[in-house]
Order: sequence, then structure tokens, then C-alpha cells
Amino acid sequence: MSSILFIALPLLFGFATPILSKFGKNGVVFTSTLMQVFLLYLAFTLVSNPEPYIEIISIAPPLGISFILTKASLFSVTLFTFLMVIFSLYYLVHRKTDAYQNETKFFILLNMLLASSIGLVLSSDIFNIYVFFEIAGISAYILTAYKKTPSALEAGLKYLLTGAVASVFLIFAIVLIYINIGSLNLAVISLSFDTLPYNVKVLISILLLIGFGFKVEIFPLNFWVSDVYEGSSSLVNALFSGIVVKAYLFVFFHILYLFLPSGEFSVFLIYLGTISMLVAEIAGLKQTNLKRLFAYSSLGQVALIFTAFALQNTDAIQGALFIAFAHSIAKMIIFLALTTIHKEYKSFDIEILKKLNSPFLRAIMLIAMLSLLGIPLFAGFVGKFLVLKSLAVEGILSVLIIIIIASLLEAVYYFKLVGFMFEKSEKKDILKIGFTQKLVFLLLAVLLLVVGMMPFVVSNFLLDGANVLLDSKEFVDMLGAK
Amino acid sequence: MFEFFNQPEVIKTIVTIGSMALFFVGLFGLLTQKHLIKIFMSIAIMETALFLLFIGLMYKKSFLAPILSDGQTGFTNMNDPIPHAMILTAIVIGMAVLALGVSFAIEYYKLTGKTNIDEMTSLRH
Repeated sequence: MSSILFIALPLLFGFATPILSKFGKNGVVFTSTLMQVFLLYLAFTLVSNPEPYIEIISIAPPLGISFILTKASLFSVTLFTFLMVIFSLYYLVHRKTDAYQNETKFFILLNMLLASSIGLVLSSDIFNIYVFFEIAGISAYILTAYKKTPSALEAGLKYLLTGAVASVFLIFAIVLIYINIGSLNLAVISLSFDTLPYNVKVLISILLLIGFGFKVEIFPLNFWVSDVYEGSSSLVNALFSGIVVKAYLFVFFHILYLFLPSGEFSVFLIYLGTISMLVAEIAGLKQTNLKRLFAYSSLGQVALIFTAFALQNTDAIQGALFIAFAHSIAKMIIFLALTTIHKEYKSFDIEILKKLNSPFLRAIMLIAMLSLLGIPLFAGFVGKFLVLKSLAVEGILSVLIIIIIASLLEAVYYFKLVGFMFEKSEKKDILKIGFTQKLVFLLLAVLLLVVGMMPFVVSNFLLDGANVLLDSKEFVDMLGAK
Repeated sequence: MFEFFNQPEVIKTIVTIGSMALFFVGLFGLLTQKHLIKIFMSIAIMETALFLLFIGLMYKKSFLAPILSDGQTGFTNMNDPIPHAMILTAIVIGMAVLALGVSFAIEYYKLTGKTNIDEMTSLRH
């Protein structure tokens, strides 16, 4: 019964918040954090279980709705709950001075975001995926526009318009799938997708690519991302680049591996991802707003994960999961640090780093940036190395070279930031950081270092995840659709 | 004369052509219109076209509604209920997104007086 809890508890909590808010001002915040900690505990007990973990909750296919928890989805679930717990712990301190207006609503949205991201990962029914796709979208739109300033609303509108167009294309794909196959269950579709006429197959694939392309932030459908990051608050950005994109990426490739196990379009997708990465890093070079700059860096990293997933072999997928892990944690550090900086100095301009007076924060941000760049001994290195290795093994050298060039471009602006941080110039007053927040930052940084120095701690788990993700036959067997 | 239109193939052809025409009307509006509310209308038209296409193609004439009553015991000669359930859900979700979008647009108009998406440039550098 445990996998359903990951969706049911946050959803239930979202609906119960109005009642909980009757128990005083702190009621919602603390119960919500406690609930998330419980979910994290649950996830860890599942991870530490040595038995291969597969759990299916379903009404018998081809009729039923089913959630399926494999090692691959367990990785995402653990990552998302961990990030959400970290976010809540940070917010517990942040709210003392800078609380969101109308916190009850804020917590409904947070829990909806968590529930729908986990739901996306666990669903094995394409219409359920559409429903969670929309719930995640709606909570993200409202979180973007939450402050109701003109720029926040502008960002929210842009996000909502692109999201609505994406969902139209996704519905179109689902309609075509149902008309042609007569089922919504991923396993049943997986069995008969190959037998469809070539034109229909291509049409459905293109519609799915457009629908998910907006959400997984792939060039040329990613024009909205930097605006959304700039318009929304940096606190929420941490969730967007840590949780939401990762959930969409995971489910997109889960669907792709199931529908097209032989990888007909993988070359096209590899080049799409590589071009996205290059474009994002080039655009990132000339940014002067920190949020915008890190938005472009997120785009670059997500495109790298996209390329790695598109390679469709175990090593590359293991690498992709590694990068997803390292990127989520590093971006969490960066955006939470930006929130702390903005609270004191009221600016997101790149020059503000010169005046940053906090050795602790500088060290933590340095670790996060080095990990994002993929320097050895940091978690980002392992993933990048695995991806580049499997590119070399496959012999796709043009992609390899473009990725290295894009990484160098990324290094250019990251080292510019590092230079700003350690420049000897007039500093402001020392930045005060709460104890819990320091602990949160330390925990994340130590995690990056530990995984970077001892990748074997998680690599077996990720390898199993990659194998499960890639094996479409086993998935069909698991759901018992014959 | 109207017998001709009762043939399943003819109905399906009409539904397909009609709803696809509607879809492209919406797509055209999405790409050419600049007013926020008109863009939302275009998206709604595109969605509606897909709902019509789906329901129209899955409907079988002379089949019953999928309800077990009045001596009906098996699921034979019944229309497939899944498309209807799906489309109902999709309509509700589409409506929620539309309402949210329009409320954003209204708030934005109150604060800035702008309704044209080409003028939404405060975030571009």
C-alpha cells in the first residue's frame, strides 16, 4: 500500500489545509513538513530494502488505473520528497522574516506540486499522466504568479499559455492513441504501438514530442523558461528546476522507451538535445540577471540529461540519472542561496556577488557551481563522465564535441561568477544565516561531495533503475497485459 | 435523401473534416491573434475540436448508453464509456486552466493596462 501514499498523502493534505489552518498560524507549516518527512522516511525504507522493489496498485488492465513503483521511479520519488523536505526546512526559517502572503494557499500548491510530480512518475496510464501533467502545470502557474506583481503575472501568463498549448497537443496524441489502439494502459499501448501504420506512428510521436517538448524545455520550445524564472520568486525556482522538469523528463522518456523500444527517433532526439544545450549556454553567456543566468544554465543541464536519455543505453541512462540528481541538489543550493542574498541585499544583479559578505555562502555556492560544471570529486562529474563515455563508445563524435564546447561555455560564465564572488572589493555587512538554513546548505553540499567522491554509494541503485527503465518487456510483464 | 448521412463512414468523415477544420481555426487564431483573451479563446477552440473528434469517432450509432438497467445484463451492444469519461475530465481541466488564465489576464490588465502579448516585454533583456 505504500506507493499510493506518496500521491495520496500530499493530495489529501492539500485538501485538508483549510481545516488545519484553523489550528493557528503554524499548524499548516509544521504538519506539512512533518508529513513530508514521513514520506521521505518511507522512501528511504524502500530504498534500503535489498529486495528488488516492484509494487503495483491497479484494477486489472486493460481497464484499470495503475501506479507502478520500480527502482527507476523510486529514485525520482525519493529525490522529489527529499528536495521538498529541504525546501520546507528552509522555508521554516525564511517565513519568520519574509513569509508568503496567505501561507495556507502556498502550502496547498506546494503539496499539489509534490503529489502531481510523484503521480507523473508512478502512473502507468496515459490519461492519468495527462491529469497529473495538468495538476503539476496549474500549481506551477499559480506559484509563478503568486506575488501578483506585473512581472510575476507576465511570467505566469507566459507559462500558462505555453502549458495550455502543450496540453492540447498531448490530448491530441492521447485521442489518436485511443482511437487506434483502444486502450490507455501504457503496457497495452507498448505491445501494439509497433504494429500501427507508419504515418500514424510518426504523427503520434510528433504530437507527444511537441506536448512534452514545452515542458521538458527543449529548443525551440523553451523560449518561455528564462522569463518564467526571472518573473517568479527565486524560492519557487528551486522547485521548478529541481522537481518539475525532472518529473516531466522522466515520464517523457519512460513513455518513449515503452512505445519505441528500438529507438527509431533516437538520433533526432540526440541532436535536438545537443543543439538545445549549445543554444542555452550561448544565451547564458551575456546574462546579467542571476536568476536568468541560472535559468539558462538549467536549460543547458536539462538538455544534457535529455541527450543522455535519448542515447537509449544503460550507461547513458545511469549517467542521466546521476546528472539529474546532482543538478537538482546543486540548483536547490543555488536558488536557496539566491533567496538568502536577495532577502538582505534586494537585488538579483550579477554585480551583487562582488559585495557578498558571507564566507559560508560563498563556499557552498562554489561547491554547487563546481558540481554543475562537472569537476572531478563533485557529484556532477560522475554523470557527465558516464554520458561522454557512452557517446564515445557509440562513436557519435560530433555530439561529443558539441557537448564539450557547451560545457566550456558554461565554465566561462560560472568562473566569471566565482571571480565576482572572490573579488576583493567593498563588501556589505556580514550576511546572517539562520542555524537551520546553514544545516540545510551543509547537508546538500556534503551530499554533493560524498556522491562525487564515492559514486559507488548510489551507482548500483541507479544502474538498476536504468535497467528497469529501459526494459519495456519487463514492464509489460509486470503489468500483466497480454 | 438524409439516409446517405446516416452511414457510419459518412458520419465519421464529416466529424473528422469538421473537427479538424475547427482545430485549424483555433491554431490560426493562436498564431495570429495578439489579444490575450483571443488567444485563450483560440486554445479553447482547439481543445473543443479534439473533444468533438474523439466523441464523434468513438460513437457507434444504434449502440446503447453504457448503463446496466432495464434488463441489460451484459456489456454487449454498448458504446465505449471510456471516451466520455475521459472527455468530461478533460473539459473540466481545460475549463480550470482557462479560468485561471483569464483571471491572470484580468489582474495583469488591472495593474498595467496591457492586453497585447507583444507589449508584455518587461522580462526581456
